[in-house]
This record gives sequence, structure tokens and C-alpha cells, in this order.
Amino acid sequence: MRVEYINPFVEAAFDILKEVLGDEVQRGELYLKSTSQAVMGVAAFVGLAGNVEGRVLFDMTMETAIAIASEMNDETLTTLDDLGKATITELANMITAQAVTKLHDLGFTFDLTPPAIFTGENMEITDNEVEALIVPVITKQGKIEINVAVRERT
Amino acid sequence: MNAVSDSTITAVVENIDFKMVAFSLAGKDYSIDIMKVREISKANRFTYVPNSLPYVKGVYNLRGDIISIIDLRTMFNLPTVQSDRGQPDEIIILRLDDYLIGVIVDSIDKVVGISSQTIQPPHPIFGDINIKFIQGVVEKDERLYIILDVESIFGQEADVAPVVSAGYTAAERYTENKTEEFNMGFIAETLRTFSKYNVTDLNNRWVDKRFEEWKKIKGSSSEVLQLHSEADSAEFLSVFYSTDTGRFWSKEYRNVVSSLFDNSYGGTIRVWNPGCGKGYETYSIAALLSEEFSDASIKIWANDKDLMAISNAPNLVPDKQSLPEYMDKHIVAVNTRHQFNQKIKDIILFEYHDITHPNTFPEVDIIVARDVLSFLGYSDQLRMIAEFQEKLKPGGLLIIGENEELVSDDWKVIKSANNTAYRKKV
Repeated sequence: MRVEYINPFVEAAFDILKEVLGDEVQRGELYLKSTSQAVMGVAAFVGLAGNVEGRVLFDMTMETAIAIASEMNDETLTTLDDLGKATITELANMITAQAVTKLHDLGFTFDLTPPAIFTGENMEITDNEVEALIVPVITKQGKIEINVAVRERT
Repeated sequence: MNAVSDSTITAVVENIDFKMVAFSLAGKDYSIDIMKVREISKANRFTYVPNSLPYVKGVYNLRGDIISIIDLRTMFNLPTVQSDRGQPDEIIILRLDDYLIGVIVDSIDKVVGISSQTIQPPHPIFGDINIKFIQGVVEKDERLYIILDVESIFGQEADVAPVVSAGYTAAERYTENKTEEFNMGFIAETLRTFSKYNVTDLNNRWVDKRFEEWKKIKGSSSEVLQLHSEADSAEFLSVFYSTDTGRFWSKEYRNVVSSLFDNSYGGTIRVWNPGCGKGYETYSIAALLSEEFSDASIKIWANDKDLMAISNAPNLVPDKQSLPEYMDKHIVAVNTRHQFNQKIKDIILFEYHDITHPNTFPEVDIIVARDVLSFLGYSDQLRMIAEFQEKLKPGGLLIIGENEELVSDDWKVIKSANNTAYRKKV
């Protein structure tokens, strides 16, 4: 993945999560992955188009999703209901949008697709041709793995 | 089963100049050049050899000669059939360079004589067997025979075999002298642990040489020879790196590289620079190409999997002192800092990327991968060399580390000082 793209995504994830959760968040080691990977339970998905093609995936466990949705809505949710799903979707949208705005300032124009959310047990995501950058973010509510797979159009 | 039928040999066809032994395997007809076949035999109860490759059935005593027996079905990943117990297998004994090898086939058909002119080259869509192993296809009496290229099949075997002992090749070569073997094996092992440096065919000539030097510097007792830490390992490798690694290329080195180019590039020049590190090498290539080929549109893909190294590469601030004079013209001052001009920056695309993952960009004219392969595991090295071969246009240029070499006939060596360079055979 183009080096210039990395920071905007990492920064956006931090800024937004810190803001919505009102607490410190920590970063895990960034790494690259190309094989298919297991999805922890809840995955919010935003597609990217424009100069590039790709997608951003926010992956977390059901417990983390519920805890984050509870925190953001300032109420205690027990299941990931419609409100909870909408909250996680919105979170994905906010982070991706801020990253794309930062990238726009650097001269890269992307568009995003409306976010979608996947929930379920034992899911796996595979896109063989694109290598994904994994940005693990550790919050008080649990770990979120932001999985960015973007490539230049050639 | 008419193993060798006289009638077919004498069948009158004009210009029969190529005879082959036909056999069947999984319902298809194959053949092997008769000149490679020593004899045909039936046997079973081979002596199993532990820890051998899956397609090696075992060894067999052929009138005093011990030969290896290969199961062609397993080797070609065709479904295996449970053979009737006690029913001997059909074996073709092949005579290759200086050894014999037996291959098990389903059934041996006959000897077929054809005219070598009627052999057609293999078509890429033959599914079951890798096309490299097929010499050609020929039609005879309404049957299609696939002629196997036994040299490349079993020659290949020798190349593939070391995978099993990945990285230990250097150690294994020291068999005469036990202590030496131990020391060298230990060095290979520690280089891998401390520096992720893998001693293989690619670099063992250099490692041998360096080991001799090392003995002179350190003395010959095992204790002092060994590499005890990352620092020792780095010291051992300190003279491995190619000219001008980790800095901008000097004028002299720039001119050496420049002399490797041919002038046949079209309007576009595409370059792949895996393992670009902090980007000094990439900027040197960009400067060089934009000077030499000012009209061409140049594109360089530079990758590294070390995020810390590559993250500053797009905005590298060249230190005036380390910058060779010839590069001055590519530098502009932004505020108080110096930077490469937009033209150079637009040429390069720095990517945080692991080259052992899929590489998705198109074919390239030049690959500069100095001192990159040695730091990959043995099987990744082989895979990357194959990928270089695939990604380069015919006649394309490959530059690897000064102290590395490719052991393969696929490449044409270009003689040059301070460089190991190859051209892909057209």
C-alpha cells in the first residue's frame, strides 16, 4: 500500500475513537497480511473508489461492538440491535471519511461507498490479490482491527 | 500388452527419425524419447526410503545397480490407484546423464516411430502437467501422444530437493572436515537467527569466502569463530552489502549502472525496486533514468516491508553533504529544506508492501533488487526469482546484490564491475 495512505488512516482511527469513547486508545503494531483472515464477529465495511480501489474493514468481537455502541449511545445495550448496528456503521463511516478527507488534502481523491455491517460466527474474508494493512487499535472496550486494503489503479 | 512391438517400429512412414516409448497414465497417452530409455522392467516390493519425497516409491536393485523409483502419478498429482497386491508395476528405466532412474507408469504400450517434424510445441492449456515438462505433442494413428521432457522433469528434481533442507545447503557441503562443517553450519544458522540472512546457492560462494577471511581475522578456534550476537552477525555481513547501499549512488556507481541499460526502451520505462529501504537507492535510480531517458515516461514501484524505513521515503530530505553533485539539479528548496523536485517524486511510488505477497503491478523493464533475496527464506527466494522472471519483459534487466548470484540457465549474465546483473533471455 502506498506509504502516504498509511498515516491518514491511523490518525483518523485514533482521533475519532478517542473522541467518541472519551478515553485513551492504544495502537498495536502495524503489519501486512495477504491471506484470508478470520473475522472476529462484527465487521463494518466501507468500499473505496476513485484513484484507488479497495476497502476498509473494521473488525471486532460482538462484546466489543456492544460495549462501544453502549458507550457511544450513553446507555447499556445487551444485544447488537438496530441501534447498535447503526452506531458501529456510523463509527466506520466517520473514521473512513476523516481519513479520506486527510488524503484529499494531500491530493489523493477517493470516494466511499455507504458502509455495510456483517455479523456472524466463523466468518472469513478473502481477497487474494490485495494485501491488507492491519491497524490494531486497543480500547478499553476491546480490540478493533482496522483492515485497509487499497491499491492503485493501473 | 505388446511391450515392444516390431510391427510398429517397421511401419513405413517417411522420415521416421524419432522413436519414443509410449505408455499410458490416468487414461492418457504419453511418451518418452527412446534414447533416454535404457530398458523396461516389471517389479514391485521396492525398498522404502524414510523421509523421502512423496513421489519417491523407494529404491530397487536392478541387477546390482541401486536405482530410485519414482511414481509418475504422484509426481504429477494425478489420482493414485490402489494397485493389485502382488501385481508387478510397469517401470521404465531411464538413462539420464550419469544415473538411472525408474518411473512407474500405468501400462507400457509400444514403441512409436514418428518424424520429428510432426512434433508440435506444447499448448499452454494442458492442465494436468506443468508445461515445462512437456517437450511436445505428436499425433500418430489418430492418437495424441504427449512427449515428456524427462531431462527437465528429473533435472528439476535436483533443484527442488534442497527445499526440504532449506537453508542448510551450506552446512551440508562441508562433509570432509567435521569441525569445519560444524562451524560453517553454526554460522549459517546464526546468520539466519540474528540477521534473517539465509545461506543458499544464491550467496554461499560469498559466505565461503567471507568465512575464510573471518578465520583469518578471528583465529580458528570454534569459540571465537561463532557469531554470538546480532552485532557479530552484522559484522560478518558488513562487507556483504553492495556498493552504495543506504546512500545515494556515487557518480562512479551511477555510471556503471547506466552502462547496463540498453537503449531499446520504448516510450515508457517501468522499474521494480523491491526492498527499497529508506529510498536512497530508488531516488538514485529515478535521477539516473530521468537523465538518461529524458523523453520517456518512467515509473518506479518501490516496496519495503519495513514500515519504519519506508515511511519517510516519500518525503526524504537529502542531506546536502551526502548528496552527490550530479544530483543537485533534481533538488528544490521548500521553505528552508531541500527536497527532490516534483518530477522525480512523480516517478516513484513508495509502497509498504511485502513482496512475498501478490505483486499486482504490470510487467517491468528493470528490476533492481540488490541484497534483497538473501534475506528471504529459501523457498521464498526461489519463488521471487521465478516471479522476477515472470514480471520482467523479455530482454529486461535484473540487478541483484554484488555478492549474490543466480544459479540458473534462464538468465544471461551481464559482465560488469560492482554489479551482478542479468538479462532475461528472449
